Amino acid sequence: MSLLNNELIWFLDVYIVLILGYAILIMSWYLILAYLSTKELRSYLKKNSFVDYEVLLTSDYAPKLSLIAPAYNEGFTIEENVKSLLSLNYNNYEVIVVNDGSKDNSMEILIKKYDLVLTDFDFHEQIETKKLKGIYTSRNAAFKKLIVADKENGGKADALNVGLNIAQNPYVVCIDVDCILDKDSLLKLAKPFLESHGKRIIATGGVVRIANQCVIKNGRLVEVNIPDSMIPRIQVLEYLRAFLLGRMAWGRLDGLLLISGAFGAFDKEIALLSGGYSTKTVGEDMELVVRMRRYMLENKLPYSVSYIPDPLCWTEAPEDFKIFKKQRSRWMRGTIETLSFHKRMFMNPKYKLLGMLSVPYWTLFEFLAPGIEFIGLLITVIFILFGLLNWHFFLLLLLFVYTFAVFFSVLALFSEERTFHKYPKHADFFKLLLAAFIEPLYFHPMAVYAALVGYKEKIKGTHGWGEMTRKGFTKKE
Amino acid sequence: MEKVWELYEKGDWVVPFLIFSIYLFIGASFALYVVIIWSRNKNISREKRRIEYSQLIEKLMSAVVFENVTFSVINEDKNSATLFKKAFFREVVMETIINLHKNYDGVFAQKLEQFYQDSGLIKDSFKKLRNFRWEVKCKGITELAEFNINEAFETIITFSKARKKTLKITSINACIKLAGTKGIVHLAEHPDPIDDWTQLNIIGAFKMHDIGDTKGVELLLESKNTTVITLGLKLIKELKLTQKLPYVSQLIDHAPNTLIQYEAQNVLQTLTV
Repeated sequence: MSLLNNELIWFLDVYIVLILGYAILIMSWYLILAYLSTKELRSYLKKNSFVDYEVLLTSDYAPKLSLIAPAYNEGFTIEENVKSLLSLNYNNYEVIVVNDGSKDNSMEILIKKYDLVLTDFDFHEQIETKKLKGIYTSRNAAFKKLIVADKENGGKADALNVGLNIAQNPYVVCIDVDCILDKDSLLKLAKPFLESHGKRIIATGGVVRIANQCVIKNGRLVEVNIPDSMIPRIQVLEYLRAFLLGRMAWGRLDGLLLISGAFGAFDKEIALLSGGYSTKTVGEDMELVVRMRRYMLENKLPYSVSYIPDPLCWTEAPEDFKIFKKQRSRWMRGTIETLSFHKRMFMNPKYKLLGMLSVPYWTLFEFLAPGIEFIGLLITVIFILFGLLNWHFFLLLLLFVYTFAVFFSVLALFSEERTFHKYPKHADFFKLLLAAFIEPLYFHPMAVYAALVGYKEKIKGTHGWGEMTRKGFTKKE
Repeated sequence: MEKVWELYEKGDWVVPFLIFSIYLFIGASFALYVVIIWSRNKNISREKRRIEYSQLIEKLMSAVVFENVTFSVINEDKNSATLFKKAFFREVVMETIINLHKNYDGVFAQKLEQFYQDSGLIKDSFKKLRNFRWEVKCKGITELAEFNINEAFETIITFSKARKKTLKITSINACIKLAGTKGIVHLAEHPDPIDDWTQLNIIGAFKMHDIGDTKGVELLLESKNTTVITLGLKLIKELKLTQKLPYVSQLIDHAPNTLIQYEAQNVLQTLTV
């Protein structure tokens, strides 16, 4: 009996040390990343205040870009969205809309509104894709930048690959057609491609923000508001943390693994040499970045991935739990798939910082964290059932994690306040502050649950995105 | 050290550590909250003052530009004299006159330049050049270049060799505005690569300031630095300097590599068609 007791005590001790150790490790990492992000942000903003983007706007030497916007059942908003893409502040660019076998009238709308005609478009198919039904260009000179590719449904990655095949310019900008882009977004995204010092810039990514209940006029964001519902409101905070306190630091370390699929630019040649977007994963955005980086490292080519902290792209976040769960479980599947495709990079010094830091970070803190949390919860329930739980210690541990979560969100708000200051209304700031207190108790468990659903779907072998219904941007009156 | 190890072994550290961390996070969150509120309030009051000052400055500048009122007359007013001693007021004045100067030509612009000198704002700009922070230096350079202060050229040109790229670009742009090609010929001896962004800015500065005299651009083609040669070729092409084509032809014969040779041929072809 006493032997069993001793073993139980030993197990409890080990469990406590492991849980606490993991919590301290993850918190320390977050703090290190936040410190690096803050430094990088300050430096960027200082530099940016002297940058004249007009130079890029008026020059023939500005990088030539091809915007690729895959569209699936976007009939409701496609006309407006394409119009806003065609009116960005940039000269050297074309817009490629890829209709991915929409079941609605997207294609008819595009043909009618943009006066499109079927064209014998010459291109070299470097990546195999689903059958292309036709390529359309406009008869109207005002829309000469527009190319529309109509294809059989094959998913987002397949549609992007069609865009990569068709693109005539050396850089491609992959975007979600329903995103609201800042007028100067292309100028800011293109600049890093001109700044390489012997290193080839293979990709640049920008910050994505939540646009729910913001005021949109003529495809442009004119007023920033905080969403009324709690789920998208907390996502505003979550995006602030991720982009201002996380990715900026990875950008500084040059260990960025993910450029959001909603808005990112790539060196077309390297993207094609790496094989284009993978249709075997739902995390095609992250997977492409990892594969491109891997290609450069394996071929010993000096390169870099750049990151722009300006809020350039605004997107609609899920408003209800059902859609949120679908989105997050898909993100988790994408993460698992990418990490498993590139598992040989894990702790492999051949892949330098990527192998030794970025991939382990994603494995430990993005992929495994929800699982570890779930196991922790299970063990805690078992302890409670067997009367083994030290309530004093348990509550302290809970408070420790909760206060850190609140602190980190307030730090993100502080960073936003001192940098972009996009939420100037006092009421909006207090709404976000309140969200910081609510998040760990309300939103976080939902996020963990959705991630666990992602694990389950991966084990079951679920493929595809699932239907992602969007409400459309609702204006705040 | 031994005591710390003993504490760790016993496991007695866990609870005090957790309590300390909780207090630390609460304290830090509260401190950040206070700083955010303070910063917001400060920005609001600063904005209010800016609006207040702007209204006053607009009237003063209107008098300077259109009614020939000089700074000494303005300074006779006690209220204005006191305001001119305030750093923030001077900052708003600087911003206003820079904006006005960008929009005016001829006599009006000269009056603003005179005001810039008489009011001592020029001293503020020179002082900024001596600041150890590069961003303050950039501000000073921009101000001096805007008001065509040629005496600053020799100081500003030294910053074109700075390690900080933004400072380098700002100073080269300023030098181009102040002295045309004289502001870039020294780049022929530049040892480091000049990236495309910097090149674009230099070309942009030539276009923006409408530099007519391009004597010396051809010297860039003789540089040992291939990025400087590329810059020279781009300048010749963008500014359509057909008179420099003999130098481009010479470069084709003695190009350091095939890429430069190709670029030179391209320039020659574009400008001779």
